[in-house]
Amino acid sequence: MSAELLLWLTFILAGLATTLPRASFIILGSRVRLPSVVQRALRYAPAAALAAIVVPDVLVVSGGFAPLNPKLAGVAAAIAAVLLSRNPWLPFIAGMAVLHGVRALAGG
Amino acid sequence: MNSSFRAGAREGFKVFLPLSVGLIPWAVVTGMAMISTGFTPVQAMGMNVIVFAGTAQLGTLPLIAIGAPLWLIVVTALALNLRFIIFSAAIAQGFRGIGASMRWLSGHLLTDGVFACCLEKMMKVEDPKWRLGYYLAPSIWSWLLWQVFALIGVLAAGSIPRHWSLEFMASIALLVLLIPMAKQRPMLVAAAASGATAVMLRGMPLRLGLIVAIVVGIGAGFAAEHWHAKGKTA
Repeated sequence: MSAELLLWLTFILAGLATTLPRASFIILGSRVRLPSVVQRALRYAPAAALAAIVVPDVLVVSGGFAPLNPKLAGVAAAIAAVLLSRNPWLPFIAGMAVLHGVRALAGG
Repeated sequence: MNSSFRAGAREGFKVFLPLSVGLIPWAVVTGMAMISTGFTPVQAMGMNVIVFAGTAQLGTLPLIAIGAPLWLIVVTALALNLRFIIFSAAIAQGFRGIGASMRWLSGHLLTDGVFACCLEKMMKVEDPKWRLGYYLAPSIWSWLLWQVFALIGVLAAGSIPRHWSLEFMASIALLVLLIPMAKQRPMLVAAAASGATAVMLRGMPLRLGLIVAIVVGIGAGFAAEHWHAKGKTA
């Protein structure tokens, strides 16, 4: 399969993996009900999935665990912005500014 | 279009409009992140239309970038979207008396913001036409904002040099989603357990560590909820 075709197939399958959960109960109506244990467990899936992606993104540098890197400083600034302000742009501005500021100071 | 549909649509749009501004940075960042992953503008907008989900798009981009296997990308997208099963179950009653094709459309357009904004009235109001208008107006508005501002991000990204590390914006975006969730203790435990596991298992082939980390995170959150409840009753 060509890379281009594989990419579009990826989009379509990821699209189905989005639309089917969204439509699930809206389509089924109240005929089917999830067991409450499953409902409660599923609540943790998004937070777990987000953390599993973002934490290694920030703390791992070229395969090695290296928590003290400019990305961590950027992340700290972004978190502060989320907690202290309601401005939806500020986390991005603060995070990028600190990332580049720290990189410039570190000389690289 | 009948008048109660239009009345519902006006009402829904009015309630959602101020909230919808929050979508704009997301859409711009997602557009930029898709370009910095190496997509052409056509591929980026294709993904934006087909997937139409910020979290799933941003979350799968790092996997697509490293050439992860297709099944892993799909399983990750599914994990990121599991919350919609809960939302869908919660709001399902709001679609009583509404036909199948409109239900499919509504399901496809279900987003966090629309869910949060529409849930209450969808349960209470009797008139199905009013409810459908009330739901679809914010949903379609979200869709339009998402496509237009992602396109702006896509076009802007091309004129920005690589060393600006725009892909870091995707990490920030995921974090911005995670933080309000992590304000609840068991959710924080789930995120911490999952994040730590993902770092420890980063060497596993096919990034299987990611799946293990998500499962560990769900288990840890569930356990924390259990202990939390026990601590309260004791």
